[in-house]
Amino acid sequence: MEHDDASYDEPASRTMLEGFARVVSVKGSTAWLEPEMMSACGGCKSSGLCGTKSIFGSRSDARTFPLENTVGLTVGERVVVGTYEDSLLQASLAAYLVPLVVMLVAAVAGQMMTGSDGVAALGAVVGLGVGMLLARVRAGRLSRRGDLSPRFLRRAYNEGLVEDCHAG
Amino acid sequence: MQDMLLLMVGAILVNNIVLARFLGLCSFMGVTTKIDTAIGMGMATTFVITVSAVGDWALEKFLLEPYDLAYLRTITFILVIAAAVQFTEASVKKISPVMFRMLGVYLPLITTNCAVLGVSLLNMESKHGFLNSLLFAFASSVGYSLVMVLFAGLRERLALADVSRLMAGPPIGFITAGLLALAFMGFSGISTGSH
Repeated sequence: MEHDDASYDEPASRTMLEGFARVVSVKGSTAWLEPEMMSACGGCKSSGLCGTKSIFGSRSDARTFPLENTVGLTVGERVVVGTYEDSLLQASLAAYLVPLVVMLVAAVAGQMMTGSDGVAALGAVVGLGVGMLLARVRAGRLSRRGDLSPRFLRRAYNEGLVEDCHAG
Repeated sequence: MQDMLLLMVGAILVNNIVLARFLGLCSFMGVTTKIDTAIGMGMATTFVITVSAVGDWALEKFLLEPYDLAYLRTITFILVIAAAVQFTEASVKKISPVMFRMLGVYLPLITTNCAVLGVSLLNMESKHGFLNSLLFAFASSVGYSLVMVLFAGLRERLALADVSRLMAGPPIGFITAGLLALAFMGFSGISTGSH
């Protein structure tokens, strides 16, 4: 029997994070999906009263992502997509920790060499820039390996939505 | 060098921003249901706190202090934090658009995280120099991330534990947070930190 689950050929030892997404358009063999919760506050019951969502909520188009449409997805369909847990960790390390560590080292070096706060601050700014370049190189490598792209796992039900983080 | 180390150990363990100063409790309770989200949130917050500490120090040193505008400190720092979040968002998007889709989800929450403003205000209150400000901010946010990950680990185990229906969910979470805070009080014996 032919299966449509892309995760079958993946090693079982890697844990996968799952999330819901809705198909917003299909162009050729590529489906464009929009994550259901645009921000982490999307699932909060107080989100209607909170100003954070109104600041960032209008940028949903920036988060639509492509997915190879091998299973014949149609517009409006809800699917479950997944990303590897260790990929999230590696992405966080590359994007945040690498620039920070280079910035701290540059600031400490500036302060130690000159004893001046101004030079240390300048060193920190330069270090942050260099760190970001290094992060870009690392992110490029992760991206080429395909680790950062979400994968299709299965179709989700459109009706009778029970997958609410407040449920239970 | 020893002073710097003491300052950092003090900020991470002794005067932990969450469990000793009780700042950032909203995200501490809200984003710690899974370890992965706790790590993502912790890292993003670490970046924003450290970057905004640099901006806040520069503003205080070159604008607020010389022109005697200390009463504008809070509102100015809020502006710097918002700018730091925008900067982080733009830079992650530039580093990798795919990565932005993965990590950008945590960034809006940081703007309203009082731990970020709290660290900057504590820095000014302690009259730290640039390097100490930077190290204090970095260490405080490492302390924040550490507690987030620890608490998320505990909550993941709690989800599988046999807890009575009355106490399940947030109530047992609050009790666990209290016990964790008590455990962290034990660190007050190892160092006096910067204060």
